[in-house]
Amino acid sequence: MGAPGEGRGVNSATAIAFMRRLRAGLDSGLELPDAISRGATALPRDARETLNRIVDRMEGDYTEDEWGFDEEFTELVEPFFAFLYETWWRVKVEGAERVPAHGRALLTANHAGILPWDATMISLALLREHPLPRNPRFLVLNWAFDLPWVSSGMRKVGGAVASPFNAMRLLEQDHLVAVFPEGVKGTGKPYSERYRLQRFGRGGFVEIALRTGAPIVPVAVVGSEEIYPKLADLPWVARLIGAPYFPVTPTFPLLGPLGVIPLPSKWRIEFLDPIETASYGPEAAEDRTLVLELSERVRDQIQQALYANLVKRGPAFI
Amino acid sequence: MAGRRVLITGVGSHVGSLLAQRLERDPDVEHVAGLDTRGPKVDLDRTEYIRADIRDPEIGRLIPATEVDTIVHEQIVRQPGPRMSPPAMHDVNVIGTLQLLAACERVPTLRTIVVRGSAGIYGAEPHAPQFFREEMAQLFPQRTRFQRDVAEIENYFETYARRHPGVSCTMLRYQPAIGPGLRTQITRYLSQPVCPTYMGFDPRIQLVDIEDALEALVAAVRNPVRGAVNVAGPGTIGLGRMIRLAGRRALPIASPLFGAVTSAGQQLGLDSQSEDFQRLLRYGRGVDTRRLTDEVGYTPRHSTAQAVETWAHRARAAA
Repeated sequence: MGAPGEGRGVNSATAIAFMRRLRAGLDSGLELPDAISRGATALPRDARETLNRIVDRMEGDYTEDEWGFDEEFTELVEPFFAFLYETWWRVKVEGAERVPAHGRALLTANHAGILPWDATMISLALLREHPLPRNPRFLVLNWAFDLPWVSSGMRKVGGAVASPFNAMRLLEQDHLVAVFPEGVKGTGKPYSERYRLQRFGRGGFVEIALRTGAPIVPVAVVGSEEIYPKLADLPWVARLIGAPYFPVTPTFPLLGPLGVIPLPSKWRIEFLDPIETASYGPEAAEDRTLVLELSERVRDQIQQALYANLVKRGPAFI
Repeated sequence: MAGRRVLITGVGSHVGSLLAQRLERDPDVEHVAGLDTRGPKVDLDRTEYIRADIRDPEIGRLIPATEVDTIVHEQIVRQPGPRMSPPAMHDVNVIGTLQLLAACERVPTLRTIVVRGSAGIYGAEPHAPQFFREEMAQLFPQRTRFQRDVAEIENYFETYARRHPGVSCTMLRYQPAIGPGLRTQITRYLSQPVCPTYMGFDPRIQLVDIEDALEALVAAVRNPVRGAVNVAGPGTIGLGRMIRLAGRRALPIASPLFGAVTSAGQQLGLDSQSEDFQRLLRYGRGVDTRRLTDEVGYTPRHSTAQAVETWAHRARAAA
């Protein structure tokens, strides 16, 4: 697409032409969004389309579902996550086709890292490798929703507060839901305990799966547990800011905000065979023995897959 | 069903007046009475208007005289107006409810009570489930004065309902209403030249269109169910998108400064926000409306986004 010699990016001549038209538009009394769309005529087509979408968004012309998920926003930020996926973490995916192509399913993965990067990489893995791509929703640790920007950004790309009520409603609406049953114990574990799965809570995720009849898909994520190597914890600072823990990593808080940049480890994501739960019936959710047994089985499978993938991956960073 | 006799408290409010008008046209409703200190906002043909203060024990004599079988309790103040102090609002809400329930004891014909309560009882919390169900009212501590008022009111009605099994008591928990002609916190907020928001927060807001708000009340009068029922339009809308749809500009303010900046803005004539509303602007709130659809039998027709668009369209046309 585009004439020969016309680059996909915006070179300086087109940028100047754009600014000139934008100013002419503003001088002639146009509102900012109109002036931008007039200026956009100077740009190559793909840049023009992106810009027009941004203008539409400025006027509130976009849709979001009742969870605040905004597909267009997710597409707009996709290049950033694609860079992390391809270049930064070099993600390799196995078994994406095992995830059901339609209907409800509960993805259950190991969890690490303070920010839910692993959830975004699982989403991207499914969007790229699955024969019928679908956007999974993921449940995020509660306290993230009290943080500016993080809270709104997370919701727009498909995050929801980690509450069983949310998980049930999402599954009843036949969504694909990713949960991290290790919870805060998983994100807060020290570097020396990486890839050793913590207790899976009280098996709440199994109860939810049984109640909604959703198959459980165990997911093993290797690489996410090296991006923020937690060397120490400062509990008194954590108490002060109301976070569950305050990690000390090689770059944080030493480099300040730059410490939020995750380390470029090599990743592997493996989706395992789904575990059927519908045959037990919704009443089985009350059966403690069954719930704990299933929970332990899922945990065991993920742990085995983690060890296998660690061997396959080799060194962590190169 | 036929021959219903209905009393509306707070008939001088916008919703109260429209409800009286709506019930007057209903052939099944034999008699409509309205109680308030202010007259109705629209012309009513056959509504018996009773000028009385709901806090006055005198209503214990006036209400039984109407011989109604249904009472719609509409007089719950959501934000004190310019001439009303917060303690007076508490008085109307709590003492008014107590006086009303005392009067109800003396109405032997009474079968149905419908309360236009508030989803404010759930609060607005960062860690809340994204859709509150009716049984989740006690999930978080009560943080604001209005929240405590609503909880107290609900408590009184619950006690009353327990002691009078013959009367079915419906507690409708409304999300904020929006609509042409309605002046509430949300419409005042969206009418300002700039709308202050919490920087970095884009909460999910859920509203109910005035039409749906009325029809839900009528549906509850026709088909009373016991206990709490959420009332809201389907879907939610991000605050940022809501402000843009209303054709306004957002003014992001860093969270620690929000209170200081908005109270300074108040000095300059901008609107002030109640504590509840500020929490709503920061964390938002959504409710599950399945009970309204399945049990009361009313499905709201206007989504939150449509309600905002309709309102903005009318507001622009009026300007």
